[in-house]
Amino acid sequence: MSLELIDVHKSYPTRFGRKVVLQGAFGRIARGEKLGILGRNGSGKSTLVRMLGGVEAPSSGQIRRSMTISWPIGMMAGFQGQLSGADNARFIARVYGRNTEKITDFVADFSELGDYLRMPLMSYSSGMRSRLALAVSLAVDFDCYLVDEALAVGDTRFGRAFAAKIERSGLILVSHSPSMVRRLCTRAAVLDHGTLTFYDDLDEALATYNAL
Amino acid sequence: MSFRDEAALILRGARMQRRVIGALIIREMHTRFGRHYLGYAWLFFEPMLLGTCIGLVHLLRDSPSAFGPFEFYAVGYVMYFIFRGILNRASSAIPMNISLLYHRTITLPDIFFARHIIETASVTGVMLLLFFVLYVINGDFPENPSKVALAMIGMALLSQGLALLSAAATAAVEGIERGVHAITYLVLPICGMFFLVEWLPDWLQELALYVPMVHLFELLRDGQFGSRFRAVYDLSYVAAWILVSHLLGLAALRITRQRLGLE
Repeated sequence: MSLELIDVHKSYPTRFGRKVVLQGAFGRIARGEKLGILGRNGSGKSTLVRMLGGVEAPSSGQIRRSMTISWPIGMMAGFQGQLSGADNARFIARVYGRNTEKITDFVADFSELGDYLRMPLMSYSSGMRSRLALAVSLAVDFDCYLVDEALAVGDTRFGRAFAAKIERSGLILVSHSPSMVRRLCTRAAVLDHGTLTFYDDLDEALATYNAL
Repeated sequence: MSFRDEAALILRGARMQRRVIGALIIREMHTRFGRHYLGYAWLFFEPMLLGTCIGLVHLLRDSPSAFGPFEFYAVGYVMYFIFRGILNRASSAIPMNISLLYHRTITLPDIFFARHIIETASVTGVMLLLFFVLYVINGDFPENPSKVALAMIGMALLSQGLALLSAAATAAVEGIERGVHAITYLVLPICGMFFLVEWLPDWLQELALYVPMVHLFELLRDGQFGSRFRAVYDLSYVAAWILVSHLLGLAALRITRQRLGLE
């Protein structure tokens, strides 16, 4: 079970010419691995996340998945503002064929939203939104969790639950923050000017990234 | 892979798709109408109101030969509402639901199928209500309800094929959705809602039968009061439209899917 990049190219048109995100990337992430992908602002991290998550297709080449990969953790992927938190959780449960009651119980317990769980999402504060989104992301099991950018995973309730979760499965963390990669990952890759380079040694990757 | 493995794989895929479409239907219903009973009532009320208005206008204006103008136009308009409802909403389906695609089991066609099932089911409800009312008022009931049902299914499928195409076109060229809205109204006078083919002069009959919807309206009226006029329709012609529009529409959506996310 793995995620494989085979000669992946990606570029898209902008007003000032074509933006190249990847030119011929190869790589393999096995199940259970914790990979960090480091990139400066504007290097195309978000596009890479969308490609790994399967929303956006490469311009050419192949991304082969033989394990389940989450949507970016904490992202309200497909959540509806008019629906309640519980309705959104039930929707996700149905899409992934999970027991709706189990998932809503987990979300209620984890998000600590109380009665707000039955209120429309648009009435939530941003803190409540992120608690809901994190709870729903963790309620469904995946072989590999995809994380885009800074996620508050310190010594919080979420941080501990998240750490336990990725201990059992894998992680792809796309970030500009070396400290977060050091804390959570065992391997890293650097995205720079269309080149994605994998390093087996974490320190080497971080040194390369810091020298950019 | 053996035949059995392949069959099992297809079966699993079908089950997953049913699950996803079911989830989408519930989500769409809650979103569109809120969790209020009044919201669900609106689903029926909109086509019912418009259908009744059209029926009443014609009741006052004229009386098409052998049948009551109300049941002719109101029922016709309700069926037209399938077309309008499905096609008008097609262009917003992708932009409104793009983040759903992070859940990789959800495909673009699933999003459309779910919406179209809701649209068709609600119009079917209105149709049943309308027939019930007509029955209570003047004891009239469709002579052949299965022909009416077939016409509605045909209309839903034809609209679906065209909706897939128009959604893909809108994704490729911004602004096309305005044209699609206009088309749903421009189609009104030629779609067969306001006439029977036998009322037209010969040369116009031939032209009218190029419009696939004319055949469906003829089938609808054949089911309603077939013994009172000579219905003209060719279902294989409609089937060809449905098939071709689905093939082109699904292929176009595939291309759309590949290009999605490019900003």
